[in-house]
Amino acid sequence: MGTTPLIQLSDVTKTYHLESGDFTALNHVSLDIGENDFIAIMGPSGSGKSTIMNQLGILDVPTSGELYIAGRDVAKMTNLERTHMRRDIIGYIFQKFYLIPLLSAYENVEYPLILKYKQRDKTGKATDLLNAVGIDEEKSSHRPSQLSGGQQQRVAIARALVNDPRILLCDEPTGNLDRKTGTQIMDILIDLHEKGKTVILVTHDPKIAEYAHRTIQLEDGRIVES
Amino acid sequence: MKDIFFDLSVRSVRLNFLRSLLASIGIVIGVVAISSMGMLGTNMQLMMEAQLTEGINTIVITPDSVMSQSGSSSSSSSDGITKSQLNDIRDAAGTNTVIPIHSTSSEFSIGSDDGRGRIYGLDPTDIKETMNVTEGSTLHGESDALVGSSIASMFDLKIGTRIKIGEPNVSVTRPVVRVVGILEETGMSSSNGISTDNAIVVSDDWYTKEFGDENLYDQVNVLLDDVNTLDAVEEAIDKKVNRNKDVVRISDSSSRITSVSSTLSSLTTFILAIGSISLLVAATSIFNVMMMSVSERVQEIGILLSIGTEPREVRRMFLYEAFILGLIGAVVGGFMSLIIGYTVVGAMIGSTDYFFLPESLIYVPAGMAIGMIVCILSGLYPAWRASNLDPIDALRAD
Repeated sequence: MGTTPLIQLSDVTKTYHLESGDFTALNHVSLDIGENDFIAIMGPSGSGKSTIMNQLGILDVPTSGELYIAGRDVAKMTNLERTHMRRDIIGYIFQKFYLIPLLSAYENVEYPLILKYKQRDKTGKATDLLNAVGIDEEKSSHRPSQLSGGQQQRVAIARALVNDPRILLCDEPTGNLDRKTGTQIMDILIDLHEKGKTVILVTHDPKIAEYAHRTIQLEDGRIVES
Repeated sequence: MKDIFFDLSVRSVRLNFLRSLLASIGIVIGVVAISSMGMLGTNMQLMMEAQLTEGINTIVITPDSVMSQSGSSSSSSSDGITKSQLNDIRDAAGTNTVIPIHSTSSEFSIGSDDGRGRIYGLDPTDIKETMNVTEGSTLHGESDALVGSSIASMFDLKIGTRIKIGEPNVSVTRPVVRVVGILEETGMSSSNGISTDNAIVVSDDWYTKEFGDENLYDQVNVLLDDVNTLDAVEEAIDKKVNRNKDVVRISDSSSRITSVSSTLSSLTTFILAIGSISLLVAATSIFNVMMMSVSERVQEIGILLSIGTEPREVRRMFLYEAFILGLIGAVVGGFMSLIIGYTVVGAMIGSTDYFFLPESLIYVPAGMAIGMIVCILSGLYPAWRASNLDPIDALRAD
């Protein structure tokens, strides 16, 4: 086992400057996440779940403290480097799917490949991934608005996987789905974890959190239980 | 390689088709305005210049109109260029053609109609140098005459018509000339000092027989072989003929051309500026549409940025959109410029002879290019704004 964890937060604080005064969304949080971990993050609204996900997703940088992802200090990277990190080592799965409305299901999955290789994909990887998550050829040509919620989330998972990320960040992935579809989506995520991905999952649902190996409980920007 | 950002832009334009179309129409109008205004000005300029340069190689020498010193004894017959002055001019002009011209104003009658006009007397060989006959032939017999286009149409003159020259007077038999040719219309811009539209042109022999003044000329034209020698020849004539005092006035049309050209080119600039205002309006509408496109797609931009799209790629996507709007506007505008420009030039100038010259047609691609540049410039800020959105805030927008 490597000595450095994949993700390392040491004493991370995130403060937002609001008109009503400063608001500390994360308060001296330290956390190590290793390769192939499966972590559930739980907590009430405003406890800092989104903030910590933004930090882990390299969409934001800490106000103080240090955040290392894949051995790199996020605060010291340029904007472009952070963009490339997001593209190459992180896969995002959102509650609202966030597919690109003007692109077909296939193009949505192909899109990160185009970002990375600056050309249209000829390897068939996007089609393979769509098949793997249960989206057939016919559905692939549909725009997101023509797909059901479950289908959109499957497309979003395929998109998240297409650049072989090491980390999968799932922000309430089943939050907009019925229980049956939600279970199917969770099965896909468990399978991906078994294949070696590091999965970090934000959820309200204790039943979903049960799938994880470790649950982190946030309250007022602090970890209260781990 | 097919660029996915270009695809996205095309789809966005198609999705908001009506809005994009309306924005493009602004560009169409701007391009048409700039192109046709520019073409109008240039065609006007080209036509005036062509009319003026027809006689640019001509030096016109006229008697200085200051009366001779002896005051009371001065008569119209003494007010002219004498034979010796003419010889001086010939000496100074060297190998260039020197054309002495008699002229006077006289009444004339055609049948029972009376008129008044200019009578020119020239050597028949010189007539060929300075005038163009459109109908009939040039002078052969002594009492042959050429008539200007205005007189010809006013009195319905035909080849062979006889004209009595001189004041109608019962007691005197007036000399008669026979029309053998009708001269080309010269318009107002006669640069050689001869306006034949309202004139009768006869041979110098006939003229001096009837009007006298054999050795006194009203005007002398020097036709230059090389227009670049204009200043030198004028100076030589001035030195030779005006050595003691100014007895002749030497003029040419070059200064007139310069001043008319510069007036016309500032006029062209002015009407181009008016045309540009419409492009300014178009720029505003493109800017507006682009800003709308950005604010409607904030969440989409947030998705693009959060999954690893570089800001410059987002910028490119919006600049493509501006480019597409500009391209549609420019192509349609360029096409319409040709039609509208041709119509406007034809209607306002009355001639499309110069329309297809490069100097005129250049305004179509120029107008298109300006339209596209304006479009892309209008898209710069919206594109920059889109690429600088914070992905977290943008994702949260709904």
